[in-house]
Amino acid sequence: MKKLLVAAMALLLVGCGVNDGKETGSKDFEGKIQIYSRDASSGTREAFEKGNDFEGKLTKKAVTVDSNGDMATKVGTDKYGIGYVSLSTDFEANKVTPLAYDGVKPSQDTVLDNTYKLQRPFEFVTRAKGDFGSDAKEQLVAAFLDYMQNSTEGMLVVEKNGGIVDKSKGKPWAELKKNHPIVDQDNSAITIQTAGSTSVEKTLKGALEAFSPMAGNYKFAMNQSGSSDGYKRVLGAEKDGPNKADIGFASRAFEGEENTANAMMSGQYCIDAVVAIISNQNTAVTSLNAKQIKQIFTGEIKNWKDVK
Amino acid sequence: MKKCNIRKSDMALNGITYLASLLCELILLSVFVFTFSKGSSLINWDLLKNDYWSKNYIVESSADHNTASQYEKPDDLSHEAYFSRRWGIALVDHVSHEKEKQVLIEYIDPKSPFASVVDGSAGQNKGKELNLQVGMRLEKIDFEDQNGTAGITGTILSENAETVVKNLDQTAETLTSAYVKTAGGGIRGSIIATGYLILVSLLIALPIGIAAAIYLNEYATKNRVNQLIRTGIEMLTGVPSIIYGLMGVTVLFPITKAFGATTTNVLLGGITMSIILLPTIIRATEEALLVVPQNLRDASLALGANQSQTIFKIILPCAVPGILSGVLLSIGRVIGESAALIYTMGTFISDAPTLLTQGTSMAVHIWSIMSGEQPNFELASAISIILLIFVFLLNIGVKWISRRLQKEWH
Repeated sequence: MKKLLVAAMALLLVGCGVNDGKETGSKDFEGKIQIYSRDASSGTREAFEKGNDFEGKLTKKAVTVDSNGDMATKVGTDKYGIGYVSLSTDFEANKVTPLAYDGVKPSQDTVLDNTYKLQRPFEFVTRAKGDFGSDAKEQLVAAFLDYMQNSTEGMLVVEKNGGIVDKSKGKPWAELKKNHPIVDQDNSAITIQTAGSTSVEKTLKGALEAFSPMAGNYKFAMNQSGSSDGYKRVLGAEKDGPNKADIGFASRAFEGEENTANAMMSGQYCIDAVVAIISNQNTAVTSLNAKQIKQIFTGEIKNWKDVK
Repeated sequence: MKKCNIRKSDMALNGITYLASLLCELILLSVFVFTFSKGSSLINWDLLKNDYWSKNYIVESSADHNTASQYEKPDDLSHEAYFSRRWGIALVDHVSHEKEKQVLIEYIDPKSPFASVVDGSAGQNKGKELNLQVGMRLEKIDFEDQNGTAGITGTILSENAETVVKNLDQTAETLTSAYVKTAGGGIRGSIIATGYLILVSLLIALPIGIAAAIYLNEYATKNRVNQLIRTGIEMLTGVPSIIYGLMGVTVLFPITKAFGATTTNVLLGGITMSIILLPTIIRATEEALLVVPQNLRDASLALGANQSQTIFKIILPCAVPGILSGVLLSIGRVIGESAALIYTMGTFISDAPTLLTQGTSMAVHIWSIMSGEQPNFELASAISIILLIFVFLLNIGVKWISRRLQKEWH
């Protein structure tokens, strides 16, 4: 028994020693952690929970807020609060500190070079070549995707709406336009249908709206219902059903049975990054890893002083 | 002693009923207070008659009128607006209900290049004059500076009104084009779609429902088969509407496909709704038929009319007010339904819905704007107010009709 006790004590000591070495922030900050979460329909929440492996395990004590801006404001005014927002949020204005993830600070650059890991791609896939119902629509879809993915103008719109893009790769639309004579025609009779992820909605809507007057005022209909429908409704089982679409989107890579080889075009048009935030008065941590985030958000760690 | 106890328990029971009804009233009141406090600022005619989606324009200034000069700032310009002295346009910052930062046009000098712009989009209207209006959103301005280098400014670069005006005044020499948007945010399309929905569902459900009710109430004898039919119809009431939605999109879609529909559509929503309405209409008609006095039937039969003549010429006209109240209840049901319609009509808000294209009813419109990353509480509450008022009027209508019905026979 005594031996056991000694062994336990020793373990504890060693444990403490290791922990001390790993300390990421100031020790003296303590207080009950208040967790803020987005509502269940939020794509940011989906990305955050999936990225840190605690889907559906969020503690019941979390306060639910209903928008990105709301989250930033609430966490900014709660000294003991922690939440998460998309990278496009104005951190300073909301008095919040963005936390590094695994020691990597979130920024445009770290997201683009894939060192900041709490990110997900926004991908698209189109119908197969010749399967759009009309030639004009096919060309128009190609023009739109070229605009959104490759042109500086399109990237600006996507960026404005929260997506992260590498603008150094952008080409002026005036140059790309030469490959797409369709945009100089009256396209007001064409409706581009989109499906798939709801998270892409804001960037997609911005791009569709901005491109429409540049390409003969085509119309568009977005029926975003979730990433799993993106492939299904353009190339998969539902491609000829009532919910068929021209472009499908996913806020993850197309995977498994989602074979994009048959598509006219497919690819990634921007990246979304989620950032954990705390109030700027909170000095307990500056960086968290997936395990710590999981422990905090599942309610395992309840006090800031225990975050190690 | 015992008496006292009974009195006490009586009082307690009474109290519970008072409290329960008080609670109901309080809940109703809080619903009204909540929606009105959030949404009343948006209630006006523009909401009802405007499109939901912004119209997007790329405008170009006319070639002969594209240089900077000097403009006077109007005296009555608001303090928040920034005025460009060289281009004669005033801009103001604005935060939308979706918490989006926007730059709006506040004023345009009549002689400014911005006052005489033409539509630059390919199509019929290309080159035609377009009036930029106060309140439009200015997204982007393409310009060239002194050296002919292209530059852009606008909210697309997350710039505010002050910066845009500064860029215009300090660097822009000639304007290339501008990207503007109308405000949008109206619900006209959803009102039209709701109208279609009511029309289609009633056109289908009324004849079938009334005929079924007549059979059950007048012709049907009491036997097992009829009992089964009646139970079946009653069960229809209890089926969750989302199941009807699923059935609509799988079983009924081929019907609308035969009419030429390629996506889920308003007609499909209407047909699905008509199935949901059937039990309501059957029940209302049956009740109306039941209160028609037996004397009338006897008198008609005694005068030599046969059963069909009696039913269709005597009984049915007498039951019209009751059927009407069923119609009003059905309209209420259509207005309030959302689950079944999300599957059958889609969730994309359309500004010009037709029977064979997608559209949203007002209830689905609320769902649609609340399900995004940035929910729009204000607009949702404003639509709720309109729905509440509508349902309120319908209820009064039903009350009025049933009172008339009672007067007639008692």
